[in-house]
Amino acid sequence: MKANIDCSVILKMLPHRYPFLLIDKVTEIEPGVSAVGIKNVTINEPYFQGHFPGEPIVPGVLLLESLAQLTAVMYGAEALPAGTDWGKISAADFEGLDLAGSVGYLAEIRNVKFMSLVKPGDTLELHAKKGASMGNLMQIRVFARVGNKNVVEGTLTVSQGR
Amino acid sequence: MAVQGKEQILEYASKRKQLCSDIKAMIVEQLCLDMDPEFLTDDQPLFGRGLELDSIDSLELSVGVFNKWQISLSDDDNRAFSSVNALADFIQANAEGDGGEASEAADLSGGMDLG
Repeated sequence: MKANIDCSVILKMLPHRYPFLLIDKVTEIEPGVSAVGIKNVTINEPYFQGHFPGEPIVPGVLLLESLAQLTAVMYGAEALPAGTDWGKISAADFEGLDLAGSVGYLAEIRNVKFMSLVKPGDTLELHAKKGASMGNLMQIRVFARVGNKNVVEGTLTVSQGR
Repeated sequence: MAVQGKEQILEYASKRKQLCSDIKAMIVEQLCLDMDPEFLTDDQPLFGRGLELDSIDSLELSVGVFNKWQISLSDDDNRAFSSVNALADFIQANAEGDGGEASEAADLSGGMDLG
């Protein structure tokens, strides 16, 4: 389903804040099943100070963090009623809900490949899709691409809820 | 289970042995364990003491079981991971066209808890 989840809504769904909110918007969502999001990389990112001086490269672990945050939005979206129109969602729709307080944790990262460097000016298109689950653990197949080239892919296992 | 003649018993035993070998190979491959599959014994506990697996590994194993035998495990089937034999019972009980054959065996081996 097409979605228009902007950063004001994401702030309601995730506990992450500057400098660690690593997703800008979510453009497609099937709550609990799959999601597509965007992270724009700019030269202003604080970590470029040291990673690396004179050669700014997004750290691979932060690419995974972006994908993990997309995953948290994907399953946090299940808390809203089934008929919710994600194309017209706003921060006001989260009145009385504490989604940010119930985001789970990363439990495992598997089969990750970094295929290409990500640099300032790149637009990351993030993808997450649910795989197997058992108990409160859930596997998510994730990848990100810049243009039509995959830059990272792998499988995350996350715990749901705290 | 309707095992009668000696040949049938032997055939059942060799099938069961093969299944246990397949399970061990799957466990070692799925969890990227640095060991020879045959080093695992059929009744050794997989969780807690024994192989010391954890809940994250059990999710991996359920993926492995599905990929190899097309059988889905639910949260309630956790006991199937208590040992190689328990998992063999579960797979036999749920294998297509083989339904029910191993359910008696599963009952006999019941009562094992995850460590």
